[in-house]
Amino acid sequence: MASQERIAVHNLADLKNTSDDAIPNYLNSLKFKQDHRLIDTRLALGYSAFAVAAACFAWDYKLGFDATKYYTAAAVALYALLNGVLTFWISFVEKGVVYQGVAPDGTKISIATSTKKNVPIYNVKITVTPKNGSPPETIELARSFTEWFDVQGHFIARPFQSVFATAVPLIAKADPKRAQSSAPVPDFLNADADVLDAIAASQSTTTSTGAEATPAGKKSKRRKA
Amino acid sequence: MLSGLQNPRQAAAQLLNFGLILSTAFMMWKGLSVFADSPSPIVVVLSGSMEPAFQRGDLLFLWNRNILSETDVGEVVVYNVRDKEIPIVHRVVRKFGTGAHARLLTKGDNNAADDTELYARGQDYLERKDIIGSVFAYIPFVGYVTIMLSEHPWLKTVMLGIMGLLVVLQRE
Repeated sequence: MASQERIAVHNLADLKNTSDDAIPNYLNSLKFKQDHRLIDTRLALGYSAFAVAAACFAWDYKLGFDATKYYTAAAVALYALLNGVLTFWISFVEKGVVYQGVAPDGTKISIATSTKKNVPIYNVKITVTPKNGSPPETIELARSFTEWFDVQGHFIARPFQSVFATAVPLIAKADPKRAQSSAPVPDFLNADADVLDAIAASQSTTTSTGAEATPAGKKSKRRKA
Repeated sequence: MLSGLQNPRQAAAQLLNFGLILSTAFMMWKGLSVFADSPSPIVVVLSGSMEPAFQRGDLLFLWNRNILSETDVGEVVVYNVRDKEIPIVHRVVRKFGTGAHARLLTKGDNNAADDTELYARGQDYLERKDIIGSVFAYIPFVGYVTIMLSEHPWLKTVMLGIMGLLVVLQRE
């Protein structure tokens, strides 16, 4: 699980990837049903392109260049086409979507995330499409990674989940406990290492990245920090 | 990085990224081959036989289509000799006849004699099909690293060692 692993806090890609991975963990634990169609299409396109290249390599290796050059030309064209479609798919269809799914009540949710180079802000765009056909609603968030990573690079699930539960009514409905605990986020940057270790230990044993309730006693301990 | 491996789709996506780097490099090479109609459109000069035109380590770009004119005397061509692995870069100095079966004789600018010695046993001349391309552009010296690696195999070990060390140190 992401919460037990430490990352380099100055590595923006690590910050984003760890956070991205935590979204499906959290929402799936709330009985959301994840839809994998986007990544499956991407994998299908990519692996067919790779298969074309592998086949081209095989016949070129076995039969030589001159005997196969028209097939090779066709393979190069097909490879360029597949890669073009793949690039189009990633940049215009996926557009940074890290989660698509359906809530227990049938509402569709789609979450896209992005970061700007050298800016430790997590930009989240959440699109909620109600079941009854009313127009989709978009919620945009821009939150600092320091809200859910401590100085040592531990991912802390609770504040991260609160961000989503507080901002999105659909998630709040599925996980009311996180939505209520929208108390000020502890200041990890100024906390000392021992306190953070204690927090991380209590977090990883009780909550991991799921959404189980945490006993109230532990909550007050965190506030003191 | 490793956390992605727990999810089969993410593992597949990471593997794909790596595979696409390899396959794209290969397909670009093949695209260039098809475009230039040559099995090996870029070669490195291995010998000094074409000095002062080309030095060891020069990178040559080949073109193997006769769109405007036939391959003719004065062109620097790369040819393969039957049963020999390494292609040779020399200049066409004589041509008898025209078309696909014209007889071509080649010679290195820096060599005293023509290439009849280098051809296969019983072969006295080249035909167009032996040639894999005419040189149309070159970059001096940048191919020298491949000569270094093939002449001093221990350099490959050193390079692998340095790469391995970097991987260990960077923990990536």
